[in-house]
Amino acid sequence: MNAAELIRLALSRLSTSRLRAMLTMLGVIIGVGSIVALVAVAQGATSGITDRIQGLGTNLLTVSPGFSRTGFTRGALGSATTLTIGDANALGAVTGVAAVAPEISTSGTIIAGVQNESTTVIGTTPAYPTVFSYTMWQGSFFNEAAVDNSLRVAVIGSTTADNLGLDATSLGQTIQISGIPFELVGIMQPKGTSGSTTQDDQVLIPLSTARHYFVGSDKVRTIGVSVATASAIDTTQADLTVVMEQRHGTNGTNDDFSITSQAQLLSTFSSITGLLTVLLGGIASISLLVGGIGIMNIMLVSVRERTREIGIRKAIGARSSDILFQFLVEALVLSLLGGLIGILVGVLISWLIGQIAGWGFIFNPFTVVVAVGFSLIVGVVFGVWPARQAARLDPIASLRYE
Amino acid sequence: MAESLFAPPEPSPFGVPASEAGAPVPVIELRGVTRIYSSGRLEVAALRGVDLDVYQGDFLAIVGPSGSGKSTMMNIIGCLDRPTAGSYRLGGTPIEQLSDDDLARVRGRAIGFVFQSFNLLPRTSALENVATPLLYQGVPRKERYARAQAALERLGLGDRMTHEPSELSGGQQQRVAIARALVTEPALILADEPTGNLDSQSGADVIKLLHELNAAGTTIVLITHDSDVAVEARRQVHVRDGLLIQ
Repeated sequence: MNAAELIRLALSRLSTSRLRAMLTMLGVIIGVGSIVALVAVAQGATSGITDRIQGLGTNLLTVSPGFSRTGFTRGALGSATTLTIGDANALGAVTGVAAVAPEISTSGTIIAGVQNESTTVIGTTPAYPTVFSYTMWQGSFFNEAAVDNSLRVAVIGSTTADNLGLDATSLGQTIQISGIPFELVGIMQPKGTSGSTTQDDQVLIPLSTARHYFVGSDKVRTIGVSVATASAIDTTQADLTVVMEQRHGTNGTNDDFSITSQAQLLSTFSSITGLLTVLLGGIASISLLVGGIGIMNIMLVSVRERTREIGIRKAIGARSSDILFQFLVEALVLSLLGGLIGILVGVLISWLIGQIAGWGFIFNPFTVVVAVGFSLIVGVVFGVWPARQAARLDPIASLRYE
Repeated sequence: MAESLFAPPEPSPFGVPASEAGAPVPVIELRGVTRIYSSGRLEVAALRGVDLDVYQGDFLAIVGPSGSGKSTMMNIIGCLDRPTAGSYRLGGTPIEQLSDDDLARVRGRAIGFVFQSFNLLPRTSALENVATPLLYQGVPRKERYARAQAALERLGLGDRMTHEPSELSGGQQQRVAIARALVTEPALILADEPTGNLDSQSGADVIKLLHELNAAGTTIVLITHDSDVAVEARRQVHVRDGLLIQ
């Protein structure tokens, strides 16, 4: 018997008990579906965050404070406030640095007309859009003069603008930040990166203004450093470290700051998401295993039920191998059909989640190949034993079986 | 030797079993066939040295009460079982030496079974049932269905081809089973109590059918406990306690 005849036989057999076939396949459908969906979700999350990291700015180095120490308790990285505006100015003088944008951040309530919103207020320098890759949609970013004179001018993100109902006609209008009036001078383009929109929900004011009205100290949260050429990132990072260590009197073992590049951030992140993908895929594989056991169970029941049929087939000329392949192909058709439906379900779910989470549709042909391969393996592994049971039946006893 | 049995160009390998000397070779040749079933230390001899020749075109009834060993004979003649001792030649081919796969092939090509309980494949159309033996011979799909259709039409079931066994009467089911036995053009039809589950009218129809097939040249071995059925055969042998009484 050739493969086509075996498949035809299996399909005609399964079509006589559709409900049972469907229920048997359900295990594999769920297994394969969850593998496809979970891997797609993990990859979607990865690409969403990767986009955001890349959207932070090109050739960006971020200087963050170290951890604080209270007694013997070590705080989280970035919990200390060890960076100052002086550090930022010193870093700006390092060769190879194109621009430096220190950030002071606080939160505030913004009122524009009758609308109000609570959001992040960041005090920074005119280098901010260059360093963090923002472009202006309306108006312009504040200039050096605004920083020098601590002017009360504000640039807002696109999401903030939407939330407050502000648009091109609103430039020059007065908005209140925590009760202090500011002139709206610009609205930024959305970053357009997927995922959460926090990068577009913020209010930017001159560094000196922020210190004057909101913060008071010369401590800054982070310092963004834009490197002139991509190839010089590593050497510049080393230079910055030297400058910072000199200024803070540390020697590499007790640094109270850290400098990370986008590449480092990406590789750290991708190692985490890689682990996540394997973990989720592994969990989903367990359900595929359970589905395979379901197939084996039904095939064993089927061999028992069809003992007489097996006897008849043997009497009219079927060899043991014909019976073996008949049952094996039935198990394979079940698992493969389940696998294909599972892929459809998984793709649908990952599309749905992609739409909701905002990273769009991610389709990985490799996952499909793996899923089909897995369901074939499940079919063979869990189909062989029942099929061997069927093939070994004695024709005389089977013919008499009631 | 075995090759001559399975040579595909010959539709019936036993068609002309005459030897060069002109003496006919029997289709079935049993010599001292013994079958002992052993379970643990207990041994039961179902057959105790049976000799039997059946020639081309014969219509033989093997008659015996239950427990006489006639079922064991039918299993051995039908190549479903092997003798413990003695020899069995089917169309001149010694069966003892064949592998299980070769036995399956012999069953498929040389023997057509008709059972008391019909033994049709459930939830399978009459046409598919009749075509199934050809499937295991590797006959192409189209030819399979053409031959199955011809066999069903020959038995007057041309209008029942798509019916499943559960939709057919007992007499019709047995005719489908006979069509299935015939479709491979076997050397031998082996009928085990073919009328046992039928009403007398259907039973008479089946016997009439067997007569017609025999008249057309098919060798038939009928196994029964019913002497009324046995008298229909051209020749009878009786089995008692594992021995033949001619």
